Amino acid sequence: MSTREIITCRRTGDTCVYVKHKSGLDILIREMPGFSSVYALFGTKYGSINTTFKLAADKEYTEVPNGIAHFLEHKLFENEDCGVFELFARTGAQCNAYTSFDKTCYLFSCTKNYTENLRILLDFVQKPYFTKENVDKEQGIIGQEIRMTNDNPEWRVLFNMLRCMYHNHPVQIDIAGTEESIAQIDADLLYKCYDTFYNLNNMTLSIAGNISAEEVLAICDEMLRPCADKGLETVFPDEPADIVQAEIHEKQPVGASIFQMGYKCAPCKENFFKKEMTATLAMSYISDASSDMYLRLLSEGIINNTFGGEIFAGDGFFSAIFSGESESPEKVRDAVAAEVRRILAEGIDERVFSRIKKALYGSYVRQLNNVTAFASIMINAHMAGCKPFDPVDIVSELTSADALEFIRNELTEDKIVLSVIEKM
Amino acid sequence: MDYKRTELGENIGFTSFADKKFNTCFLCIYMITEMNKETVSDYAVANSITSTVNSRIRTIAAMNEQLSELYGAHLDSYANRRGDIQFLTLSGSWLSNRFAIEGEDITEKMLEIITDCLFEPLFDEDIFKLSKKNILDCIDAEFNDKREYTIRKARSIAFKGEPAENSSCGTRESAEAVTVDSAREAYKRLMETAQIEIMYVSPDDDPRVSELFRERFARIARHSKAYGFYAPSPLKPSPELLAEEFDVRQAKIAINFKYDSSDTDAMHLMCIIFGGTPVSKLFMNVREKLSLCYYCACRMNEYKNSVMVDCGVEKSNIEKAEAEIMRQLDEIKNGNITDEELQSALLALENSYSSFGDTPGSYVSWYFDCICKNRYITPIEHMKDLFAVTKERIVEAAKTVKLDSVYRMLNKEAE
Repeated sequence: MSTREIITCRRTGDTCVYVKHKSGLDILIREMPGFSSVYALFGTKYGSINTTFKLAADKEYTEVPNGIAHFLEHKLFENEDCGVFELFARTGAQCNAYTSFDKTCYLFSCTKNYTENLRILLDFVQKPYFTKENVDKEQGIIGQEIRMTNDNPEWRVLFNMLRCMYHNHPVQIDIAGTEESIAQIDADLLYKCYDTFYNLNNMTLSIAGNISAEEVLAICDEMLRPCADKGLETVFPDEPADIVQAEIHEKQPVGASIFQMGYKCAPCKENFFKKEMTATLAMSYISDASSDMYLRLLSEGIINNTFGGEIFAGDGFFSAIFSGESESPEKVRDAVAAEVRRILAEGIDERVFSRIKKALYGSYVRQLNNVTAFASIMINAHMAGCKPFDPVDIVSELTSADALEFIRNELTEDKIVLSVIEKM
Repeated sequence: MDYKRTELGENIGFTSFADKKFNTCFLCIYMITEMNKETVSDYAVANSITSTVNSRIRTIAAMNEQLSELYGAHLDSYANRRGDIQFLTLSGSWLSNRFAIEGEDITEKMLEIITDCLFEPLFDEDIFKLSKKNILDCIDAEFNDKREYTIRKARSIAFKGEPAENSSCGTRESAEAVTVDSAREAYKRLMETAQIEIMYVSPDDDPRVSELFRERFARIARHSKAYGFYAPSPLKPSPELLAEEFDVRQAKIAINFKYDSSDTDAMHLMCIIFGGTPVSKLFMNVREKLSLCYYCACRMNEYKNSVMVDCGVEKSNIEKAEAEIMRQLDEIKNGNITDEELQSALLALENSYSSFGDTPGSYVSWYFDCICKNRYITPIEHMKDLFAVTKERIVEAAKTVKLDSVYRMLNKEAE
């Protein structure tokens, strides 16, 4: 028996529907009258970090090669009789998929035939077809994808930083793995991972736009095969609170040197959005473009308009990262650390804090108006154990004391890692 | 959606779209001028200043404070190019008044800020230096993205000697040469001579916006012209090849073709079938069948009668990939297009066109395209034209496609 709940944004009055489907799947639906398009994501809580796992019936944990979640994502696009792209091509929908650190999502966007597209999506993700031939074929394609991302300085600067930040947590490993690690993948391993993680009890469907919730649920009733919850357990190696090393430099053929400086923070176990939003407010306060620190670094030519901050967080990892282009990244790091000390000594200016909160509120409200953005918000929020409108409601409630507490507890100088990609 | 278009003055168009489903407003001002290597960087730097400060809000700090007080409103500017034309934009987006917690009139305040930025920019020496540095950094950073660099480099070879060979912000040398006086002069010239197109998307029609711009532009002595974007590029007498070596892990190629067909709709479909979707000939063969690459795609530049294919590939497989790309083009020229390929290309386009109106930006980009093409039609009308294209027309268009030039980015390690 399925259960249903209407979720409402207290501030704007927007709503969406959450359904716990009888098959085990969590479903989030938002009807958006007046919009033409539909965007749907069917995702599993299975990403590059989930390399060690077991089911309740297993005695031992299974360890799999790095990059296998991403490899599996590629291979699900092949059915026994034809490719999935061909199925969507017949309806005109655009389809794609992505693998992140902690999830894999299959998606389509369309303006017509959404019911047919939803059937295709739900069907192909539940129907794996892996053979030696089609696995071998994919090695070359993914090998080129790995090489492409290794030439991407933004990618390199992030992973270099993560390797210096995390001793053991698999977030430091490239999502696609390496050419060597993917060479160990075969059809049997793919089936093992599929059977473990592509259980509907571990999955979420998020769909928004020009749809009818009743139609969506009727298709789910028709297409979803009930799954028994097999008691999936994923584990991560113990991760010390300290960092591995404070600085890393790599020379690359780039035109502009780039950096990321990250604070390793304690991973979040509950109230994920609250911590993420508190951290976002604190980061915005520190890097505010009206602050003395920002203006001084800008006028001295140490940063440019690419400077900014973001939160990078997931299962077992949480970091606050400042990034941008700079030929003197050490000066940026020192300035940010000094600014943190100044804030701790002088406190937070309530007037500035209130302005930053207003800006953050505005950015969340804007996203409610976008089919693609909102479908993504629903699945990300749900997989993080939160509700989609939480950001709009939470931001109004956060105080400067919350931000100050985050800065005091988490932004400590012994947890800073500076990663730089320099011109050759 | 309620659409209105009015002329506010000599070559000044104002287009508004009122659509109640949006919770934001979006205003975009296009300044259209010729692409010229002598002025390209002056315009880029000058335009960059307009979104930074103005004569009333004179510091970056003050501007940032104002925008964040207005619920994180955005102000943006960029330099771009299309065909042989450079266009500069100043745009702003903000939350609709009904979401203002404290009842502020966000729209009125943003209109004031944007018009001050446009009509009363502040060419202050310090702000100028920052804007110039941002443009220089932007030019330097073009090499960070290797795929984009490959495409840009290939384009400069294909359009050598034509205005379109220039980048939107010019070269490091031309940007270095910009002074505060040359930027100020350039901006004055731009406001007097550029073709201006203003687009405004909001939940409700607001006549004060067009009136505001009409009144402000009336104070400027304008002597402008309307620009044509179509400037076909001649085919080189023999294909040109340029290769460069870098310390990269993956080689990349970009192949330029030129065509001699006025059947733009047929050429558009040809490109989709050739390399525009995950069921295109390039994707299905170069990637899926031969496993040579992760991406191999085709794009059309209808303003320059050209088509470009780009691909990231192992250095040792470059010839194999290029041969397969040419073979797939020949397949189309020989009429080997299945009904499914044509149908899926049409459906993919229809899907894309039908989402028109789902974001404020989609209204603006569609109508700006109409202006550039001098062809004012709705997406639905354009789809009707595309559905009328036959396989024969696609083959005829494809037969005019000829190899013009190739750029190869090579990795050193593979030697």
